[in-house]
Amino acid sequence: MLKMLGAVLVIAAATMAGWLQARQYANRPNQIRKLILALRRLQTEIMYGFTPLPDALVRIGEQSGEPIKSIFHGAAKNMNPPWNRTAQDSLQTAIEEGWRFTAMKAAEKDVLKGLSFNLGTSDRKDQLSHIMAAVHQLESEEACAREEQNRYEKMFKSLGLLCGAFIVILFY
Amino acid sequence: MDQSWLTVFPDNIRSLLVKLPPTLFTGLEEVRIREGRPLEVNAGGRYYFLTPEGGLTRDGGAAFIPGKQEGNRLLDLITNHSLYTMEEELRKGFITIGGGHRIGLAGRTVLSGGKVEHLRDISGFNIRIAREVRGIADPLLPQLLDFKHHSVYHTLILSPPQQGKTTLIRDLARQISAGTWGHPEARWPGLKVAIIDERSEIAGSRRGVPSFDVGPRTDVMDGCPKAEGMMMMIRSMSPEVLIVDEIGRAEDAEALAEALHAGVRVIATAHGSSVEELSSRPALSKLFASSFFQMYAVLKRTEQGAAFRLWDGKRRRVQDPGWKGREEHA
Repeated sequence: MLKMLGAVLVIAAATMAGWLQARQYANRPNQIRKLILALRRLQTEIMYGFTPLPDALVRIGEQSGEPIKSIFHGAAKNMNPPWNRTAQDSLQTAIEEGWRFTAMKAAEKDVLKGLSFNLGTSDRKDQLSHIMAAVHQLESEEACAREEQNRYEKMFKSLGLLCGAFIVILFY
Repeated sequence: MDQSWLTVFPDNIRSLLVKLPPTLFTGLEEVRIREGRPLEVNAGGRYYFLTPEGGLTRDGGAAFIPGKQEGNRLLDLITNHSLYTMEEELRKGFITIGGGHRIGLAGRTVLSGGKVEHLRDISGFNIRIAREVRGIADPLLPQLLDFKHHSVYHTLILSPPQQGKTTLIRDLARQISAGTWGHPEARWPGLKVAIIDERSEIAGSRRGVPSFDVGPRTDVMDGCPKAEGMMMMIRSMSPEVLIVDEIGRAEDAEALAEALHAGVRVIATAHGSSVEELSSRPALSKLFASSFFQMYAVLKRTEQGAAFRLWDGKRRRVQDPGWKGREEHA
């Protein structure tokens, strides 16, 4: 009886692990898409709204939902008093702190960090080109992520279950 | 004292500034940061370099040298991390921060069609600390009263830069608006005052709200070209007194003439050290020919505050007996 319970637990755990891994693959392209939309909104705020960066980040964070929200809000918090840190510093700290809650990978992180060097430090035309460059990079990452999702999502789901079953068979 | 201007400095520079002797600190007028050159402060018409320990020196070699990082940080903070919202300010070469303090910028200009389009590689900063000196206009205002019309004369205030013109007209605006005329026979109430604040210096507006006390009946058109602003105010805000800073272009003169026809009194300032010098400037000569201004005040800063000399509309020196005693050390 106890053995039976153990076997069920092992299979459940392995399935869960596979399922979580699969969800990472499913979430990544979605989050990249959200990030792209957020950057496009930022572009609008900068080009047409003349909104100061901290205010723009708060507003866009509000619309974007987690996990982008906490990164953007964190960056805005670092920029505002009493911290008064530079835009670059604030954004990079917020990315470091918030990245582990996202399904995105190092490539997207690098794009966003690259953008942080230029955000807020030049005129609108320049800001536009930097944001557009980041958006294009993210779009190619998104395409990769979708491909990986197609390839691995189902595989990890079944792989989890199969691994569980394999372990059970091995020890039973 | 308002110390909001301190927050724009990077930590290391701020810690040097707060170490200044209190008398110097409270009298601080300018802090100049030039990338790769000594950190300079100006107070009471003198300049000092700051040493890395916070002491004062005149020796540039012993002074603290701000680098690129300090410059970038300063720029980031004064633009609220958003240089792109400041394109117009960069074109003009200065940014006004909360509290009405003005930060002049120097760098490399980007031209477009022969006009300055943008300022980049900004490496020189001049933080001019704005101070509200209530009562600095006390000796001047009673001289400008027009008892017949219960108003003030059309007045032009002249002085070279850095002599306190802006501080003076800010106080004039406040007192005219509040109706504190400082004369026993002047018993009419305050007037509607309109300030055209092209450089955001008179009222120090942040998001449209003045940071300085410019009086209860004062409207401020912030960041607006003077000639256009004067016309807008006359059309829409029915002012009784218009206050403008630093007139000097032909279109300013035209707008002033328009104000005259609208029956609005004008108090303006201009760069210059004498009435003669100014009347020879082509853009303004028409104003002088029509003897638009009824009173000219030449301002000079002294140790005690400000001193004035007055000329009337026909450029005769005004020698008021009650005034003379205070004239040089008002």
